[in-house]
Amino acid sequence: MLDTLADPGLPSDECPRRARIQLDLLLLAIEALDLGGSEAMLAVARDLALDNLVKGRVHLWLLRGTNPMRRYSQRRPLQMEEAKALVMIICTLARRLTVLIRQLLIGQQQLTDKQLSLDHHFRLADYMTRFRSHFRARMNPRRAGVIAYSTDEKLDELAVQLLQQLLLCSGVLGPQRLWNSLFDGEVS
Amino acid sequence: MTIQRQYTLPHCNLSLEGLSDNALDSLAPLTVLMNAECRLPGVTDVTLTGGREFLDSLVAAVSRYGQQLLSGVASPIDATQAPPMVFLKPGENSYHHLIVQQQPLGEPVSDVSAQPPLDIKLNTVQLYDLVEAVDQLLADTQTLPDLTAQFQAVSRRLVQANEPVAKRAAPAALGAAALAAAGLALFFVPPPEFEPSRSELESTAPAQTAGTGTPEANASPPPGADSANPELSPDVGDLSRLENAPAIADAATIALLQSDVADRLRQAWADDTPRPSDDLAYRIVVSEDGDILGYKYENDLALAEVDSTPLPELTFVPVAGAAPVGEQVAQFIATFTPAGEVVLAPTGRNTGAAAQPAGTLPPLTEKVTDGDRIRALNSTLYDNILGDLGPLSASEALRFRVRLTEAGEVVGYEPINAAAGLLAAETPLPGLVTATNSTADQVDFQVVFTERGVLEVNPWDGWPQ
Repeated sequence: MLDTLADPGLPSDECPRRARIQLDLLLLAIEALDLGGSEAMLAVARDLALDNLVKGRVHLWLLRGTNPMRRYSQRRPLQMEEAKALVMIICTLARRLTVLIRQLLIGQQQLTDKQLSLDHHFRLADYMTRFRSHFRARMNPRRAGVIAYSTDEKLDELAVQLLQQLLLCSGVLGPQRLWNSLFDGEVS
Repeated sequence: MTIQRQYTLPHCNLSLEGLSDNALDSLAPLTVLMNAECRLPGVTDVTLTGGREFLDSLVAAVSRYGQQLLSGVASPIDATQAPPMVFLKPGENSYHHLIVQQQPLGEPVSDVSAQPPLDIKLNTVQLYDLVEAVDQLLADTQTLPDLTAQFQAVSRRLVQANEPVAKRAAPAALGAAALAAAGLALFFVPPPEFEPSRSELESTAPAQTAGTGTPEANASPPPGADSANPELSPDVGDLSRLENAPAIADAATIALLQSDVADRLRQAWADDTPRPSDDLAYRIVVSEDGDILGYKYENDLALAEVDSTPLPELTFVPVAGAAPVGEQVAQFIATFTPAGEVVLAPTGRNTGAAAQPAGTLPPLTEKVTDGDRIRALNSTLYDNILGDLGPLSASEALRFRVRLTEAGEVVGYEPINAAAGLLAAETPLPGLVTATNSTADQVDFQVVFTERGVLEVNPWDGWPQ
């Protein structure tokens, strides 16, 4: 299944920095959408027979810890195969959450058009709050990349942006699209 | 037989009409496209239609824009080619704009380029439906098998080229401008005049002050000698301004200076200058970085023939009216022999400090072993030192090893730390040395002047049991 994701032709077998950040943030958004998100990630890994690449909870935590913004950022590299597994997990979960994501995005668009605060949509506000608290609990506030999201507004913007990206990941070609987007501007 | 394919999503209906290669097989894939139609219910009433060119352009635009939304990296459109029939661009408030160069259905045919392009505003969900309809078409192997997804990460080169030239060139231009401005500004600044930094060298202090160990070395030159050699360097034979300079205590530094200065004197003593008839001996004072700060003849011949040595040339000549030297110096005796050799030897004398006892003490052979005697000597020594003790300028503790005879006379002392070596003269110790050559039984004590002015005396080998 991972063969549908073509190697981007980078000189090394390690994922670039932006890819590691992006994958972890998408997983974070899934967790904020779905209370059982972290359990679902492990279940999906088993269902997709990816448990040789994502070997349980601690290993998944280590893989996500390759995000340099994390408080407990790991120095280990993220191998291409591991990144592919994360892409598949993200896209599978996004597909399951499509209906919810569509509702939230439609609500967000309506509120933005009326210039109302996003708090008026109960489910959306819930997602935002959870995303903010997840982000603040896990990211190192002294990192330059994290300082950019120091305010609630910035974090809400990021949450909505991730929601849109998750929707795009949920389609039939979502994995390929997400996978290739990870290396935009990185390949020669 | 005409084949129809429909891809239906809430906000996008994509339908294709075409023919298959094999007219008899109803399951054969659609390979020849006749018409493509894209409706966007809930968005616009306009139906976008076109042939293969329109469909290809739609697929390319949708794939590229979807990837751009995910990565945030815009894929540049080749500006040299004609604008694509379909393209997408981001709008305000997370809207997206689908721009289509075509004429609406049902209107009379006219020049396509004359029509303003259609601008359809999509929200994210509507855009997603469009993307998904196209993706389903791409993934469908029964429809246009030659049309497959062509995902490709954007090249680094293209991303860089995407930045406007002005923006890329700005840092370089700014750098060049700053350099030019700095050059222009500095052009008007006169080059700095060189001023010797040793302005403090010239003596204002009285000649030959106290604190020197060997009086004959500091004897003022005979008045006649100075007047007889008016052309001599003004400070020949005058080391007074250097007398109060602190001595370099580190033996390694002194050794290094010794070889360094000897080398320089040897090289500078040109072969064509007349060789002296006898040894010329000079006391020279050398700064820590090897500059010869001053020199003084040690014998009369040395004064008369000073011009045949390289000393006047090598000596740093201070500006007039300078203060006494405050930096650390070392003193050497330089001897120029008739054979053309230069011999440099340390004077073994610390400027400003009493020379003789401040060396190292020889190993103790005949020790005092009587415990009571040691205690008595300890308190005697303590009292003697305390009696003469004045305020010290030390910023750290001064440690000495002091040797006493059985009778309580001070044989000598030895500084243990560097500060003690430098500031020995401030302590009462030099004045207490009375029995330099005593051969009686002796004992060592450790004497510490702490930085807070407290005196500590105790036996070197520990208190007797």
